[in-house]
Amino acid sequence: MLKKSLIIRDPLKLLGLETDQTFQERGCGAIFARAGVGKTALLVQLAINSLLQEKPVLHISLKDPVDKVDLWYKEVFQNITKLNDIRPADRLWDEMLPYRFIMTFESSSFSLDRLMDKIEELRSQKIFSPKLIMIDGFSITDANPEELDRLKEFALANGFIIWFTIRGHRGESQAPNTFSLEFVNHYGDFFDVILQLSPEKDQVQVKPLKKETANQPHLFLDPSTLLIRENRV
Amino acid sequence: MYANIEKVRNIGISAHIDSGKTTLTERILYLTKRIHKIHEVRGKDGVGATMDSMALEKERGITIASAATYCEWGENEINIIDTPGHVDFTIEVERALRVLDGAVMVLCAVGGVQSQSITVDQQMKRYNVPCIAFINKCDRSGANPFRVINQLKEKLGHNAVALQIPIGLEADHKGIIDLISMKALYFEGEFGDKVREDKIPDVFAETARQKREELIDAASMFSDKLTELALEDQDVPEDLLINAIRAGALKRELTPVFMGSAYKNKGVQPLLDGVDRYLPSPTDVENVALDIDNDETPVKLSCSTNEPLVALAFKLEEGKYGQLTYIRVYQGELKKGDTAINARTGQTVKFGRVVRMHADQMEEIDRIPAGYIGAFFGIDCVSGDSFTSKSNKISMTSMYIPKPVISLAVQANDIKSETNMAKALNRFTKEDPTFTTFINEETGDTLISGMGELHLEVYLERMRREYNASISVGEPRVAYRETITRESTFDYTHKKQTGGAGQFGRIAGFIEPFPEEEFVFEDRISGGVIPTHFIPACEKGFKECMTKGPAFKYPVTGIKVTINDGASHSVDSSEMAFKAAAKGAFRQAYNKAAPVLLEPVMKVVVETPSEFQGTVMGTLTQRRGIIVGSQDEGASSIIEARVPLAEMFGYTTVLRSLTQGKAQFTMEFFTYKQVPQSIAEEVIKKNEKATKTGT
Repeated sequence: MLKKSLIIRDPLKLLGLETDQTFQERGCGAIFARAGVGKTALLVQLAINSLLQEKPVLHISLKDPVDKVDLWYKEVFQNITKLNDIRPADRLWDEMLPYRFIMTFESSSFSLDRLMDKIEELRSQKIFSPKLIMIDGFSITDANPEELDRLKEFALANGFIIWFTIRGHRGESQAPNTFSLEFVNHYGDFFDVILQLSPEKDQVQVKPLKKETANQPHLFLDPSTLLIRENRV
Repeated sequence: MYANIEKVRNIGISAHIDSGKTTLTERILYLTKRIHKIHEVRGKDGVGATMDSMALEKERGITIASAATYCEWGENEINIIDTPGHVDFTIEVERALRVLDGAVMVLCAVGGVQSQSITVDQQMKRYNVPCIAFINKCDRSGANPFRVINQLKEKLGHNAVALQIPIGLEADHKGIIDLISMKALYFEGEFGDKVREDKIPDVFAETARQKREELIDAASMFSDKLTELALEDQDVPEDLLINAIRAGALKRELTPVFMGSAYKNKGVQPLLDGVDRYLPSPTDVENVALDIDNDETPVKLSCSTNEPLVALAFKLEEGKYGQLTYIRVYQGELKKGDTAINARTGQTVKFGRVVRMHADQMEEIDRIPAGYIGAFFGIDCVSGDSFTSKSNKISMTSMYIPKPVISLAVQANDIKSETNMAKALNRFTKEDPTFTTFINEETGDTLISGMGELHLEVYLERMRREYNASISVGEPRVAYRETITRESTFDYTHKKQTGGAGQFGRIAGFIEPFPEEEFVFEDRISGGVIPTHFIPACEKGFKECMTKGPAFKYPVTGIKVTINDGASHSVDSSEMAFKAAAKGAFRQAYNKAAPVLLEPVMKVVVETPSEFQGTVMGTLTQRRGIIVGSQDEGASSIIEARVPLAEMFGYTTVLRSLTQGKAQFTMEFFTYKQVPQSIAEEVIKKNEKATKTGT
């Protein structure tokens, strides 16, 4: 019952992007924004939504240690349960944890091929079989295109959904469309959905750059909780 | 002896296991001429390091008990406490940090910030102890001090900044470059005792320039003058930079980082200079006590010998001359022959023999002035007692003592051993508040409890060796707890009319889960239906029920009791009647409140070569563990998991055999969690069987 009321608030559903339709054959999504806008917070919200549905999430971080990533989950989860007045939340948290696995890499030693090997190892040894993979802090522009293709094939073959956080240019706020358009042009085929976070006055707007739907609702990240909200606060 | 108090440093050396704390302390003692020969922790000469004086410490190559010593470096007098790295002996670190003014956090240049570094950092935070970091083992293969600095920032949230850079790493580690004087330092002579200054080798010049800029940038936050000079691109005087770093370090807002290799005698002298420059003297630290007569109002202490005495006993040891009590004097002076009051007991004590410790050696002294650490003999007290002069009744705040999580049944094999075991247990429980002993009333077993397998193993071994006690040991037992999961009401009347004065008391209210605290009692009685003077008896009755739960016979935790109704009788009601009513009420409500069994869950961190990562994770999931995550570090990987303690017995052996001895793990208490139903049933059956058979 508790879980259901939270699952209804799926950030993708709020955007009109039903998960199964968005990723028909499984694939990749991106959260695109400049630094410090809330990419990780949104990524974690998507992950928590999956965890609540008992779909295993593998969270890869190239910038934060395990404890810090764990803290992100705790904070976002606490904000979600507080907002929805769910008490006690401890048991729900405990139920979610077995479905989450955090893996951190040093950026210098990370490659997508290495990641695929690690995931295969986890699966083959029946330690963890993810459905959703979150990759935070990876610079996709430095990635080898063949490696990206292999990752996409890997996702399709295994039924994974993979989300990336993509850090935009610092100057993105001055010229909002230049870099994002460039990004969509360049990586539009690779990603099935691209969400952009753009700061506007005191709030952060969430809008799809790809897969825009009719009657797109106006969504924002609440500045105090960084949770996705339908209306301006 | 007794230098200018501003030149005194009371420091602790703390770190993860095998980071080289004791090796570093040995070098410090040698270089300060406190000892004349260096002995290694696991040296071939079999002597062992000076600070590891216990036979077991020498044999195992680990520090079990913290040891105090002192030395002189230039004008400075440094009192040092070397602490154990293993988390089972965490109380030793806890009480050392409680009384120290500053600390050196030792980190391995290969391992970086490891699980116990995180625990030690939390302990430093708890007592607001400023620290400097020493990145040791720069000569080891895989050493990368800058990665460790990043980990200090990311994992511990320190504003860590390098004060040095290494001249070469691994086998090429030749010395260090001091970013303050911008000179290269080489350590020559058999034990690196001669420091040769030279110009910075060209190959390191650019890195040194960049790192110095980073240092000035970080330090300028603590000095406007420095910011000004840096912005104007002018030369920064050494003393200005040092003072700015010191200001940041004392506020715990900047962590100066030193580096080197203690084992190869590199970088120790600059670290000692750093202790003087960046760690506080006793006068730099604000210490506060509580005024017992004045509602425990905080009282600021003055580090002056002219004020009345305030001292804290932080560690006890039983020796051949009686009880040796380690003490830190915060105010006034503790003199041989003087009397003082033990603030806890109110007893007057007389200090007969006052000493200063150097590992297991001691030096007789006449006094311990404010700001110093010493010890005295022959006074019966417990760890955490405050001693004050008669004129001021104040007490120091206590220290955090973690609760034991593992127990073992022990049995003496003969009468002589029984006496010796009792003596040993009496001593050990007094010395170590995390080691407890009690008798299981149902089985008659003597149970010992502690922080982990190693902790208990060490005490068992000490009983055998030091007390010649022949002991049989049972299976390790987990310290289970029980709690309730829903609210439940009670309305209980205790009534007895069996001749003489009767007993009457009625209590009504409810119990509810309260995970934040062990026990909370709320009195919502109105209209005096239970007279006010019987309320404490009601609370006492409920509290006594917490020691053994009606459902599983384990201690109860996380319960709030609210009483809101009741009745009394003008003649038959008494404290005893209400206490009995509370006990009956608790039993009445408890089983309706869906009680569950709780077990200690440990935070387990395994460091393993990457090729064994999958295998290790498998062993943890098989043990009902939840893997929080893994940190890939190239050739090695660090796995963090939460595993029930009950599943971790014997894990050391399993891990060793599966990883060819290449993996190691640490484990510390994390939280209590509900035991799955099927396992809870097994535990209860096992418990019942043990009670019946008396084992």
